[in-house]
This record gives sequence, structure tokens and C-alpha cells, in this order.
Amino acid sequence: MVLFAIILGCLLGAIIGINAPMISYTYSSYLAIAIIAALDSVFGGIASVINKKFDMKIFISGFFGNAILAILLTVLGQKLNVDIYLAAIVVFVWRMFMNLGTIRRYYVEKWTDQLVKKKENKEESSQKQKEN
Amino acid sequence: MTNKKIISLVLGIMCFALTVGICIQIRTVENTNSAVSQSYTENNLRGEVLKYKERYDNKVKDIEKLDQELEAKREQVTANNSELEEAENQIKQGNKLNGLTDVTGPGVIITLSDSKAEASSVMDSSLLVVHDLDVLSVINELKNAGAEAISINDQRIIPTTAIVCGGNIININGEKIGAPFVIKAIGLPETLANLARPEGYLSILKEYQIGVELKKSNNITINKYSGVINYKYATTIQEK
Repeated sequence: MVLFAIILGCLLGAIIGINAPMISYTYSSYLAIAIIAALDSVFGGIASVINKKFDMKIFISGFFGNAILAILLTVLGQKLNVDIYLAAIVVFVWRMFMNLGTIRRYYVEKWTDQLVKKKENKEESSQKQKEN
Repeated sequence: MTNKKIISLVLGIMCFALTVGICIQIRTVENTNSAVSQSYTENNLRGEVLKYKERYDNKVKDIEKLDQELEAKREQVTANNSELEEAENQIKQGNKLNGLTDVTGPGVIITLSDSKAEASSVMDSSLLVVHDLDVLSVINELKNAGAEAISINDQRIIPTTAIVCGGNIININGEKIGAPFVIKAIGLPETLANLARPEGYLSILKEYQIGVELKKSNNITINKYSGVINYKYATTIQEK
């Protein structure tokens, strides 16, 4: 269900994004940092769904808040001649890896559990055959 | 169950917004042809150049808009005054002669491109490229054939235009122009097409294996000169 919604959203977004008008190059750096922030939020959301700690309010506020804060920091950095966006990228990518790690651990554990169960079932059935 | 539905809906919408942003960003970056370089300074410099180019384009648009406003105001003021109307017509005529208005009409389009021959096949590889003097000679022949408006790669030729060599490019009106050169000229197409006559300059260029293409057209549009003409030293003599 969740996976289906994500794939559908991505497909629709790609179709509309390809046909959308282009933005000017001056603002593309702001959009880039907003994309990184949003990507981090989405991964965080998926990870929290897996952990069963998903909170709608926190998720939505994080999605928009992080993106807007990142853009504002980039603007401030350009005014002060400091590349603050580099720090934002480091933090977001670091968190993305953390969340990806959570997702990966969950699925790896799930699949190994399934494999172990299958093996046990097979052994049980083979033992039954021997007994017979 | 409804909780899970809401979660998937929100996640879907977020992914939607995300991919729209990513696609727009990718297209913007691709459009500017800026391949990401490993060098940080190089990327920064390229970004700066692109930003300045954008600002320049915006300014040019502003100027065009102001020009139109000026034109409209002038017409509004001179609408009901025959004396001023004459002055207005004189201004228009002067602008046309000086190349300050867009013009359209019949004429020819000449394309000069560098030779496709191997550079090692000739003694002097500079014979294979189009030079400033080649362009200048073609322009001269066009003027001789009665061309009324000429442009090279959308640079309008006006009385003060200089065509000079600038290394591997040509400077026209102070702008850098590279091959292939598309020369548009408005005039009587039959006369202008005589440039392709035997022993004409175009046929000499052809002998040097330079790509020459002459096309007649009934509908050529030549843009106006985009720069500013400053006459500082020449003053008009007042006749008594």
C-alpha cells in the first residue's frame, strides 16, 4: 500500500516535472537544496513508518520546514559569503544514510527470518517423512 | 486501516512533489549545458557566468520594452499635430537607414562555413577557415549589389560596424561571432544572387573548399542593431 503510493507519486511527478516550465539558473541552487531536504524528509517518513513511530504532523512540518529552512540558510550564506549550504547538505545526507540504514536493517531482518522459517519447515517435513 | 491509507496518501504526495522538483532541476541544469566539473572553482565560475548571462538577457528584454513604450508615447504625442508627425516620420526614416528598426523583405541568405577537409591535406590549414576579410568582401559585394539591410549571425551591419579578426572568432559590432556565418541581406534577390557568379568572391571561396550556400528567399527578417550609437566628435554644420 505505502510502496504503491510512493511509486504512483514518483511516476506522476516525473510526468508533470518533464512538462513543467524551467526555472532560471539563479534559483536552481535553492531548488537543489530544497530537493535534498525533501528527500531526507521522505526517507525519514519511510523509516518512521517501519519503526511504527509515524506522526503526520511531524512529518509534514518537517517536509516543508526543512526545505524552507535550507533555502533560507543558502540565501543567508550567499549574503554572508559563507557556503552554509554545504553544512546543510552534509547533515541531510548523513541523516539520509541513517534512515536508509534503518530501512535496510528492517528488510534484511525480515527476509532472513523468512528464510530461517522456510528451512525449519523443510527440516520438519523431512523428519516427518523419515518417521513415516 | 484508515491511518495507513492517510500515511500512504501523504507519502505519495510528498514523493510527487519531490520528483517534480528533481525533474525541473535536472532539465534546468541540462539546459544550461553545465556539466558538473570536479573542480569547485570551475563550477563556481561557470555558475557566475551563467547568472550574468541571465541578467544580461533580462536587461535586454527591459530595454526592448522601454523602446516600445517610447515609440508608443511618441506616436501618442504626434497623433494630432501634422508638423510633429513629419518629424516623427523623419525619425523613423533615420532609424531605418541607421539599422535601428527590424526590417523584413525579399533577399538572400548566404551561409559560410569552415571547410570540412582534413587539416593535414593542405599546406596551410588557415586556408580552410572563414576569415574576417572573407566576410568583409562578401558584405562589400552585397552592398555593391544593392543590399539595403545586412546582418551576420543576427548582428546588424550599420555604418559604424567593424569586422575584425579575433583569433578563432570574428568581432562584429564588438560581439564575438563564430562560424558558420549566416549572412542575411535584403534587396532584389535576383541581383543579390549574382554574387554566385563565376570569378565572384563566393566562387573563389568555393575553390578553397569553404562551405558556401546561397539561398534566395522572399521573406527575410533582419533584427535591429542592439547597441548604442554614440557620435561624440562629428557635429552637424548649421547652414544659414
